[in-house]
Amino acid sequence: MKQAYLGIDVGSISTKGVIIDDGNKILSSAYIWTEGDPIGACKRLVSLLEKQFDKENWQIVATGTTGSARKLVGTIVGATMVKNEITAHAVGTTTFYPEVRTILEIGGQDSKIILVENGVAVDYAMNTLCAAGTGAFLSSQAKRLGIEVEEIGEYAARSEHPTQIAARCTVFAESDLVHKLQMGHPREDVIAGVCNAVVANYLNNVGKGKKILSPVVFQGGVSKNSGVVAAFEKALGCKVTVDENGHLMGALGAAILARKGRGRRVFDFAVEDTEFHVREAGCGRCPNNCEIICVYSGDTLIDSWGNRCERGAVH
Amino acid sequence: MARDPERMKKGTKIIHGAFPRYAEYNCAMKYMAEHGFHNVKFIMPPALTKRTEELGARYSPDFVCTPFKTLLGSLIEALEAGADTLVMAHGYCRLGYYGELMEQILRDLGYEFDFINLSDYDTWKKRDWLKVLKRIDPKLNLPRLIQTARETIRMVEHLDDATSEYYQICGFDATGGGCQRAYRSFLAALYTADCGADIENAYKRVKQEFQRIPLNKPKRPLRVGILGEFYTVMDPFSNLNLEQKLAGMGVEVHRWMNLSNHLIHYGTVKNFEPKIRDLCEYTMGPTSTANIWYAKTCAEHGYDGLIHVKSANCTPEIDIMPVLQNISADYKIPTLYLTYDSQTSDVGLMTRLEAFYDMIETRKRALS
Repeated sequence: MKQAYLGIDVGSISTKGVIIDDGNKILSSAYIWTEGDPIGACKRLVSLLEKQFDKENWQIVATGTTGSARKLVGTIVGATMVKNEITAHAVGTTTFYPEVRTILEIGGQDSKIILVENGVAVDYAMNTLCAAGTGAFLSSQAKRLGIEVEEIGEYAARSEHPTQIAARCTVFAESDLVHKLQMGHPREDVIAGVCNAVVANYLNNVGKGKKILSPVVFQGGVSKNSGVVAAFEKALGCKVTVDENGHLMGALGAAILARKGRGRRVFDFAVEDTEFHVREAGCGRCPNNCEIICVYSGDTLIDSWGNRCERGAVH
Repeated sequence: MARDPERMKKGTKIIHGAFPRYAEYNCAMKYMAEHGFHNVKFIMPPALTKRTEELGARYSPDFVCTPFKTLLGSLIEALEAGADTLVMAHGYCRLGYYGELMEQILRDLGYEFDFINLSDYDTWKKRDWLKVLKRIDPKLNLPRLIQTARETIRMVEHLDDATSEYYQICGFDATGGGCQRAYRSFLAALYTADCGADIENAYKRVKQEFQRIPLNKPKRPLRVGILGEFYTVMDPFSNLNLEQKLAGMGVEVHRWMNLSNHLIHYGTVKNFEPKIRDLCEYTMGPTSTANIWYAKTCAEHGYDGLIHVKSANCTPEIDIMPVLQNISADYKIPTLYLTYDSQTSDVGLMTRLEAFYDMIETRKRALS
């Protein structure tokens, strides 16, 4: 049996999974929508991964989870490594692009920038308080314009005079966009304007004060949008690399971290058939009333979190 | 409490005074109020919780800084606990207007209380300070007040010193909680201190305990300097226990900004401004100059990272961010910027802190 490693990245919008070997070669991968159900998405993901996976010759010996649902999903799949998405992305990207200096990442609801020197992350920033200019904004605008989010790049490429869109805030951007459409601007131009706005917003907020050096790698779901990639290249004046597996980079990073970590635990595909449920309880032992999350496998409590002090510990 | 029955003679009008919760400094307010004056009973507002914040946010303007909301909530909880006289601090940013606005909001809510807004007296003239003291206690015993003030200052200095040491060592505690227990019993002793000797003994005890606790500290541990806005950076509830979380990852946490350094020893750092002349030419906001100096000092001493803490919309701290970015670039020191408002979640903070820790840890290993 040869050893393999599983990485799962459960984000706000999409859930990604990969199985890699010792040489970081992808043996199996899947990308699905989370649809507000991280546990369900994880089960579907595991069954998709299983179909492409040769269980006769390979065995998954370590599992890593990342993304905003990393803890919940980590509990369910019995992860040996639970890592935040910033580290996972940095590790994934520097493994495949050791020369990289700047990693741009725009996901469903967050965006980050990671600066790298000699293959080591030296600075990062992540959006706070506001999700303007992330994937969620692009999909809602695509819906408003009556096109699929995947088509945005195509439309943007046809534009010759991108419209100026105010990008400081999603709500303002949306009213500006409606205004421009009602004024008679062609759809292509407005869409290209939206792509430029995403880039301007990113560089003015997350990228503020950061020195962006080439080579630049762009990833996260939004990197699949050629309109935004073109807008980044224009704004930065350098080539922006998008890996064909850029959308899987978090999952790849998690798998690599699991491989490098000490923990070993054979992954069981039976997860997809197990009943998991989550219960939320108010602690009630002080006015803070911490919201405690209890995760059950069948009727057994497997983990709980959310309490700020010992009084809220669940046994 | 009226521990000394003689002090509260029959017929004396007792003031039930309160000051909003502010990190662990309320023990000093209590000591000062109950021992410096003969007619004050200090009402300790309950520890800050989500309820405090929700109460405050409900009655505050939406875009005011978060500490305003927390402080207002704490004042409401103090009124609920029986306070009839509220004291509000003054300051050199919007904090200077806080008191006035809070009083108005609380009066509109229908509470009845006497409000001592220190902003009304902050001319730094002795005559004006005397005025506010006489207002609290018309039969003021000045020598006793001065003696109490001295002891209170000692208490604040000891509290800051022990807190500072605690966050530098608790991440390496080999006993699994001995540090925390010692620190907590120290705090409890300060809250119940009845005389100057109580304060000194509690301090001696905690320092000895800290000495005795075995530490698993590497030769060159990760050191992180924390700086930022006056209230949020010091108050563990407001910064979601930032220092404890960071220390728990195995980091030596340093913070210069505290009450004694800022109010009592500010002048002991000689030539603040000339030392940072290369970074900024003018005096900036209430804490900005000190924060820039501290960031630069940490960078020069080879700290592994800086964390800048502020509440949303805090103008003085937003002003220093470009300077911090220059320090970060010049000295190659990673800096994490954290902005807190009443919606900030624990989970989001943890993600950023873990990533920051991973980054400085990997970097240190790669550089050494």
